[in-house]
Amino acid sequence: MTTSVSPPETVPAQERTAGHRMPFWVNQRLGLLVLVIALSMLFGVLRPAFLDQRLVLFPLLRDVATLTVVALAQMVALSVGHMNLAVGRMAAFGAMFAGIGYDRLHLPMQAGLLLCLAAGAAIGAVTGWLIARTGVSSFVVTLAMDFALLGLVSLMYSGLTEDAAFTTRPAGIDALRSYSLADICVGPLCGSPAVPQLAQFTVFAMLGLGFLYGCTRIGRELLLTGAIPAAAELSGIPTGRRVLLAHTLSGLLAALAGFMAAAGTGTFRASIGDDFMLPSFLGAVLGGTLLTGGVVSVLGTLLGTALVGVIRKGLDLLGVGLESLNIYLGCILLLALSADRIRTVVSYRKVVRST
Amino acid sequence: MSTLLDQQGRAAEVLRRFSRTTAAMLLLVVVAGSVALEVASSGSFLEGPSVRVFLQYLATPILIGLAQMVALCVGQLNLAVGALGGFTACLTGVLMADHGVPAVIAVLVGLLTATAVGLVTGIVIVATQINGFIVTLATMTILLGAQYRLVGTRTVDGYSPTLRDLGTAAPLDTPLVFVTAIVAAGLLGAFMYRTVAGRRLLAAGGNPLAARLSGISTDRQIVLAHTLSGLLVGVAAVTATASLPGVNHSVGGDWLLPSFAAPIIGGVALTGGSIAVFGTVLAAFVTRLIDAARAQFSLDPSWVNLLIGLVVLGTVAGGHLHQTRLAKSASSEASPQPEGAR
Repeated sequence: MTTSVSPPETVPAQERTAGHRMPFWVNQRLGLLVLVIALSMLFGVLRPAFLDQRLVLFPLLRDVATLTVVALAQMVALSVGHMNLAVGRMAAFGAMFAGIGYDRLHLPMQAGLLLCLAAGAAIGAVTGWLIARTGVSSFVVTLAMDFALLGLVSLMYSGLTEDAAFTTRPAGIDALRSYSLADICVGPLCGSPAVPQLAQFTVFAMLGLGFLYGCTRIGRELLLTGAIPAAAELSGIPTGRRVLLAHTLSGLLAALAGFMAAAGTGTFRASIGDDFMLPSFLGAVLGGTLLTGGVVSVLGTLLGTALVGVIRKGLDLLGVGLESLNIYLGCILLLALSADRIRTVVSYRKVVRST
Repeated sequence: MSTLLDQQGRAAEVLRRFSRTTAAMLLLVVVAGSVALEVASSGSFLEGPSVRVFLQYLATPILIGLAQMVALCVGQLNLAVGALGGFTACLTGVLMADHGVPAVIAVLVGLLTATAVGLVTGIVIVATQINGFIVTLATMTILLGAQYRLVGTRTVDGYSPTLRDLGTAAPLDTPLVFVTAIVAAGLLGAFMYRTVAGRRLLAAGGNPLAARLSGISTDRQIVLAHTLSGLLVGVAAVTATASLPGVNHSVGGDWLLPSFAAPIIGGVALTGGSIAVFGTVLAAFVTRLIDAARAQFSLDPSWVNLLIGLVVLGTVAGGHLHQTRLAKSASSEASPQPEGAR
């Protein structure tokens, strides 16, 4: 599910996407998959509790499902060569609207979700419009947006609620939080209790984005806009509109993640999304999405997020304190990217030598 | 006589050019804001104690803004500003409180550590060719973990009274930490504008290819910029340690956004090659004024974030409007009358 538009004469980092010219072990997603499985087995052997389906795997997969959507939101922004530093705050913004919908307007769950998505898409569109219109770096605009939303969301929560959280729960949201595939049975066959039903949103998002980037003209145009904006402009792609679209989608996915996080914890509060920024970059970048734009990997994003989730949970179970987790995660990020770089350079040299 | 007129003309020209810069606009905002606050507080804002408190907490925003500016001037980012500052502050505090290290040595160790971390960051960026954004994101994560491991959930406050006294000392109502920040800004300005090394930094940021062709190692400039950035963060951490009642794991947690806000409002381009020391200092003043106004009207602290975000967005949009107007007037004007048109 990797899609790329790479200019022929660019850096070797993009060569690996040429696929057939590279040996199979350069495939980043395969490596990630092997790493995730190997690490899960290692942790499972060291701590048999790691493989407990209800108590460990279920919350782990719920977190991975939410963070994958966050990373996808980042990936969409990265695909046009931009960043979205406000992912966490857009998630909080969307979730706030869902909370208002349930608490004040007494909406059913689906309508609240739609309201949440619409709010996220709207704030994403405003961001995208500002970037496309002014031509200022997306970093600055999303950073400023992060500031503004950080203030706005907490102001609205403290203005609208007593204890800074919407606690009204519409029918069905508790089911969403605690139900797994074990609650869906076809005859005598039931699903695994480890897979949360919340993951359905992640699957929808992944399928949608995979279709967008893999099969549609607009997806290709998004990638080309990210790879070489000037060439995209010259070949008749409305780059401004594509940037707007990418940021709108990013906002929509961030809001979806906010809703999932709120459904997962049960309350709608301002602190949703506080810790989304780092995982969003970790998942997307480990999965093979380029920061410079033009290359995305939907499946890789899931695998990158899963890797981080497994490491986090595993180290936690091994008794590594919370405080040290961050140290290891940072080191892993650096090591993974350096290894990736070395691998690419080595395989590039091999290919060059053999031709 | 004519020389006097010439001088006057030149002075007027300099003044007119200055009046169009971002710094002049910011200066205007600072003055107007101070006057407004003075009126709103019915005269107590410009009294000694209140000025002292205002300047006391201005030192850190200035220093972290400058630290970010140095990274921006070679086209890099430093996301680790807050984490490095917090880590250094905690390291200094723990060294003094738990290990009985004298204040001078602890401060020196803190400064050296921050500089060394900056140096390592720069070397990693250059050696691995990974985007500086990701590398500093990783160092930020590592440093956050290290800071938490150092102090945990406790607050370290039993450290050197000498340093504490220096931190709160304010001869003539001008706190020493503020003087430190201004001196650092002055030294940085002199380094950037007057020395060859500073010019090289700017050249490498402005046009890396041209810089390389004229014999400047851009790699070395990137390492130097990150090292300088680390040193400035170290100074910021020391001033924070000296002026705060104690250090804990939350020090530095809210530094990242202000560190970007100051240079961006001050007129530094994110693409590199430009700096604005005076503008950054003034922008830090403006954000501090917003904070002071918030305290004056006893509003929710969230207002500060909202307002700063809107100010940055406004600056961005305003800069764009200015650019388009310039471009329009430049294209419509075949006849040379540049002054009257604007």
